[in-house]
Amino acid sequence: MKFLHNDYLHLTVRLLIGALFLYAAVPDILDTMGFASSIYNYQLFPSSIIGMSAVFVPWLEVLVGLSLVSGVKARGASLLVSLLVVVFITLAAISTIRGLDIDCGCFSGVERTADWLAILEDLVLLGCALFIFFFDSARISLASLIKKIMFQRTTDKEAL
Amino acid sequence: MTQQAKTGLVPESSSRQSRPVFSWRRVTRDCLYFLALAIILGVLWNYSLLLKAFDGTLITEIQQHQLAELKLKAKQLYPGISFIDLLSAKKLYDDKVAIFVDARTSQEYQIEHISGAASLPVRALLQGDIKPDKVLPDREAVLITYCDGGECDISLELAKELSERGYQNIFVLGEGWPGWEAAGYPMDK
Repeated sequence: MKFLHNDYLHLTVRLLIGALFLYAAVPDILDTMGFASSIYNYQLFPSSIIGMSAVFVPWLEVLVGLSLVSGVKARGASLLVSLLVVVFITLAAISTIRGLDIDCGCFSGVERTADWLAILEDLVLLGCALFIFFFDSARISLASLIKKIMFQRTTDKEAL
Repeated sequence: MTQQAKTGLVPESSSRQSRPVFSWRRVTRDCLYFLALAIILGVLWNYSLLLKAFDGTLITEIQQHQLAELKLKAKQLYPGISFIDLLSAKKLYDDKVAIFVDARTSQEYQIEHISGAASLPVRALLQGDIKPDKVLPDREAVLITYCDGGECDISLELAKELSERGYQNIFVLGEGWPGWEAAGYPMDK
């Protein structure tokens, strides 16, 4: 199981999940009403929950996406990604069981039905997020790069 | 309490030296930072939508948004198909001028449908399982197709199919049966 501790694997998974969340969130921020409409289609929530989710969730996705891409506070971000994905899976499962033929609202402009395939994709996403949470050392990250540069400068100054 | 119990999953000694020590407290604090920042950014970016959510106008606005999206889609994919608003549809219903056609599956139709509507599931029609002539013998009749409202577009598909098969007076009720029911108009259950 040595590969689970491979820094490059951590980096790859982090970049993929981070980029995916950024890709999903930015259109929802630009078209909040469209995202609210996707949440409304699930026929589960009152107006207040729809409004709050439509306004806050895309920004949360952007923040965790940036965090995963940069590697700054990636563990907290991966925990939030896991929680968000669990919510997505629950919603898709409820809709599938109820027989609703609705767009999952996963990606703006892409028609994807909330069905078992969407749930399977979300389970893969959940696995990746949990992998980051439990194994990622964030050794290769923007934060470590900045630290390295700062350390280099300090040692250079001391050498002078 | 051992260091492992205090810090959580990965004991520092077993990991490589630069591996950060896991701490639930730190992770929880980071999560709370993310949530707080998302709330601040969300409110700054779109507080008007939040106001609508709490004064009860958001649902109406979402329905209008969905109807506009549906009309845009119809314009792009099914040019020539006309929409009809609820009031006009109700007038035609009261005057017994129009035939309402339910595009959903027959199971969904049996659960609930607009009173007096005919069932013509679009999937069955496309697969050739149903002949429209049996359900709608008069090709000159005024037809109003509908489905679940919102982003449901099978009423558009049905209108297009019927139009291609020679039916001439077809309208789509964008609000679907939920809009009809919400207006208090007659339904059969």
